[in-house]
Amino acid sequence: MPTGRSVLRDAIAGQRGLLAGASALGSAHQGGEALIPVIIGVVIDQAVSAGSLGSLVRWLVVLGVVFAALSFSYRFAARAAERAAEQAAHRLRLAVSERVLDPRGGAEAGRLPGALVNIATGDAKRVGAVNSVLPFAVAGLVGLLISAVLLLRISVPLGLLVLLGTPPMLVLAHLIGRPLERRSGVEQERAAHASGVAADLVSGLRVLKGIGAEAAAVARYRRTSRDSLAATLRAARAHAGHDGAILALTGIFIAVVALVGANLAASGDITIGQLVAAVGLAQFLLTPFQIFAWVGGQLAQARASATRIASVLAAPHAVLGGDGSPAEDGPGALRLRAVTHGPLTGLDLDVAPGELLGVVTIDPAVATHLLACLGRETDPESGSVELDGRPFAELDPTALRGAVLVAAHDADLFEGSLLDNVVTSGRDPERALAAAAADEVAETLPQGVHTMVAERGRSLSGGQRQRVALARALAADPPVLVVHDPTTAVDAVTEARIAGELREIRQGRTTVLVTTSPALLAVTDRVVVLDGGTVSAEGTHAELVHADEDYRTAVLS
Amino acid sequence: MTRERELDRELLPTATGRRTAAAVGELLRPRRLLAAGAFTVLVAATAVGLLTAPLLGHIVDVVARGGSDFTVPVLALVGVALVRGAANAWGLSLVSRLGESMLATLRERFVERALALPLERVERAGAGDLTSRVTNDVAMIARSVREALPELGRSVLTIVLTLGGLALLDWRFLLAALLAAPIQLYTVRWYVRRAIPLYASQRVKDGAQQQQLLDTVGGARTVRAFRLTERHVGRVRRRSQDVVDITMRATRLVTRFFSRLNLAEFVGLSAVLIAGFVLVGNGSATIGTATAAALYFHSLFNPVNAALALVDDAQSAAASLARLIGVADLPGEQEPRHSGTPVDASVKAASLGHAYVADHPVLSDVDLTVEAGERVALVGASGAGKTTLAKLIAGIHLPTAGSIALGGVELGELGPAAIRRTVALISQEVHVFAGALADDLRLARPEATDEQLREALAAVGALPWAEALPDGLSTVVGEGAHRLTVTQAQQLALARLVLADPPIAILDEATAEAGSTGARVLERAADQALRGRTGLVVAHRLTQAAAADRIVVLDAGRIVETGTHDELVAAGGRYAALWEAWSDTRQQPG
Repeated sequence: MPTGRSVLRDAIAGQRGLLAGASALGSAHQGGEALIPVIIGVVIDQAVSAGSLGSLVRWLVVLGVVFAALSFSYRFAARAAERAAEQAAHRLRLAVSERVLDPRGGAEAGRLPGALVNIATGDAKRVGAVNSVLPFAVAGLVGLLISAVLLLRISVPLGLLVLLGTPPMLVLAHLIGRPLERRSGVEQERAAHASGVAADLVSGLRVLKGIGAEAAAVARYRRTSRDSLAATLRAARAHAGHDGAILALTGIFIAVVALVGANLAASGDITIGQLVAAVGLAQFLLTPFQIFAWVGGQLAQARASATRIASVLAAPHAVLGGDGSPAEDGPGALRLRAVTHGPLTGLDLDVAPGELLGVVTIDPAVATHLLACLGRETDPESGSVELDGRPFAELDPTALRGAVLVAAHDADLFEGSLLDNVVTSGRDPERALAAAAADEVAETLPQGVHTMVAERGRSLSGGQRQRVALARALAADPPVLVVHDPTTAVDAVTEARIAGELREIRQGRTTVLVTTSPALLAVTDRVVVLDGGTVSAEGTHAELVHADEDYRTAVLS
Repeated sequence: MTRERELDRELLPTATGRRTAAAVGELLRPRRLLAAGAFTVLVAATAVGLLTAPLLGHIVDVVARGGSDFTVPVLALVGVALVRGAANAWGLSLVSRLGESMLATLRERFVERALALPLERVERAGAGDLTSRVTNDVAMIARSVREALPELGRSVLTIVLTLGGLALLDWRFLLAALLAAPIQLYTVRWYVRRAIPLYASQRVKDGAQQQQLLDTVGGARTVRAFRLTERHVGRVRRRSQDVVDITMRATRLVTRFFSRLNLAEFVGLSAVLIAGFVLVGNGSATIGTATAAALYFHSLFNPVNAALALVDDAQSAAASLARLIGVADLPGEQEPRHSGTPVDASVKAASLGHAYVADHPVLSDVDLTVEAGERVALVGASGAGKTTLAKLIAGIHLPTAGSIALGGVELGELGPAAIRRTVALISQEVHVFAGALADDLRLARPEATDEQLREALAAVGALPWAEALPDGLSTVVGEGAHRLTVTQAQQLALARLVLADPPIAILDEATAEAGSTGARVLERAADQALRGRTGLVVAHRLTQAAAADRIVVLDAGRIVETGTHDELVAAGGRYAALWEAWSDTRQQPG
């Protein structure tokens, strides 16, 4: 069971080779940076003061070598760290996608698609980013140790002052900053709201134009923008105050070190050179501590993100997976016994092999719940659904969906050509395209069936989308096909044609049409009406139209 | 129909560099006092900070002289720290006030202009263009204003003042230090030239990945139903791997950039040390001065790298700025000099023709008159031109041929503002604005009272569910909040129509997506919403057509029949055939 902790741990452990390399090279870089001022001192001492051209050349060569070394070690440390970050994020993205697409489902429960995508992108990136900061934390630690040793060698009291004084000082700075930062976080969120409002108004542009509401929308945005500006400025002031406080504290700390060091130097305990070095090291020490604070912040973010990722990965499955496979090309008989689920209360229903059954639901929620059970998006609260005598629960969900295909009313199309969308198995789509009148859709498109369809089919109109989606379902040619309201956005002439073709192409295969469209119901062998949670009427379309007043109201109004 | 969109995409304009600079100048001008104040305070803060080194030097001198009273320099150091911290805080908050208020003005101007753009122009560019400008580009600039701008300002000031300090020590030290500059300038040019296209393609790959995930995750149920998991995981893997690859390319570029800057540091530092060697050798500088010069140069490493590394942030921000200003500078819709006043609520279209692509007419020779208060249904198969006719009459597209008059006044003479007061179009597009339900409705009539909102909701049969929402009309709806069903969202659109209260209303397939049960609810709502108006209904369900005063049948862009339901059924033409296909199944078999 993944937890936030384990997600984060695995993201780090999975890249340990790269991380080790990056840490080693990063430490070398940090050491090189620390050596530069030392070499400057040596040049001043041995070359400039002594006037020795030989030492000047010699030490400049050394300086060059140190620069080359620190430059190359930084270069490869940064690359290794970044690769570790990106690879970890990549793996998490795939893990989240795979979990969402798991045949047993359940990951989407209670989450909007946008939120899930944010988890797969933003959160995965933040967890991965830990790998790009960890090597620098290690390098900072190494820098800290080196300076500590140097400082203690100069003077134990001065060294202890610097080493023990730095952390409390940083804690103090953190304490000053924390309330400010917290406030700034809240206010930044409010600021982000303005951008959301703008995007929302722009995406509703057509609606605004349709009712002439542009001026009202601009006025609303201006108010939001001003509120957001005020919030942002409060946050910015808090931030500036925090930065200023840290700067002042650092300066005071240096002054204290200088005071103690100067007294030690005045009493002859350390030399002037050592005083200068101690002040320099006190300044240098701030860097590693700042790195730690930064890494701490990144880790906190990554932990929150890892928890969100873990909650997706560990989401309970919506259905239990069996491991049985339905018989290859079985007869395709469906049997529902005492199915209770949501508004369904003890539904008994049999669909004979090869039958074309119409299902009319008075309450749309009944259709939704029935389809969820048939598509095994969920298991019914009680009762059983069987295919050719085998309970769904015994069957592997993926194998089952190969035998019982539920084509939802709001089924999505995907990015790719129209043909790509229709072909989901190896079968020839020609007949299915014609049966769903999707061939007519293709004719009106610039590149026919090879025209690219934008994400979620948004470049097509509602009616075009429905016909392509129906063609896809028919092309899959499953032993049992359940179709929900496939022609609500299709004109009457075409709908009638589709109804006839549908009957033709599904000849001998079990088909369930959940709809209130009379054109479709007229071609069915039998119609059942679901009301009050169970079957309330049954017969052919013609019989029901003739005899059942409620049916007429539901279907022919 | 949305077909025309992919044929000819023409992005919205981007401002030139010169225009962008001028626009920034225009934003800056009313704030010049604030700008000057921010600059002065930051200069003071940086200058005070530079006093730290000489004060430490002074302490060293006191020790060297054998003194032991450090009170004055240490207190001075404390004073410097306090003043520096305070001045920095003040300066930074002034800088953010300057940047943020400029940004706020710009984004408001952008949204105002964007919403005023002719819809046709936006559609030609693709809706994503405008959305990405208002989100990504605004965010990019905001980030630069918040993070890069203060950092850049501080770094540049530190560099300038430190170089000044170096010149004060001896002008020849400054000369030596400047040897690094050509390498730095060359490196920046080298980097920017490569970084801009690389980051542009990185954004494209990021977008593609985001899109793929939305496609896959949003359609997860369909992916499972059709057992497309492997195909989709493969696509996600490819897109994600593309992002990894391009990010690594960007990282390699950045690390090479910093390597070159290291070379500049080495050259400059060596030059300063050699200058020190020479100047001390010929007696024109002391060892202390040479040390100070070297330390000054060393302290420049961080600010120089920080400033140069911000160059690409600045580049991206400038590109985003150009994209915002490009739209903010677009001319709005042209209002005619003398706007006519419609005399009634009639619609008259004469020899109307339209083609989205030259030589592919969608409508030809359409003559249509709708009397005030009349309700006309447009009927025809998909692609017959119903939606196009609706859009032309609503003034969304300009017809390629013919003319349209509302209340006796030609659209061109009426002007965009009056057109929208006169005619409303409820399209297939359903959008619920994020925010309180009441705020959504008030977009249609800002001054509406709560009572009027309730009346409008009641008119379209939406009041029962609206009042049953968790917080009633104050419930936050839309993206990321309480989700309304398609039927509810369409009822909301009709309630907005009731509030906007235009004399002419056009309804386009508003019932199509709601499923058959929802469709009937919406038909009743539409009937109520159209009461008292001239109505043009793109009828999808023939029952809706049959209830209209008159029916117009379109086929392949032409009007083929017109008349009342009974007339057309009796005529036995195309409508009669449609009606037969429909009613065949709907008549009680006798």
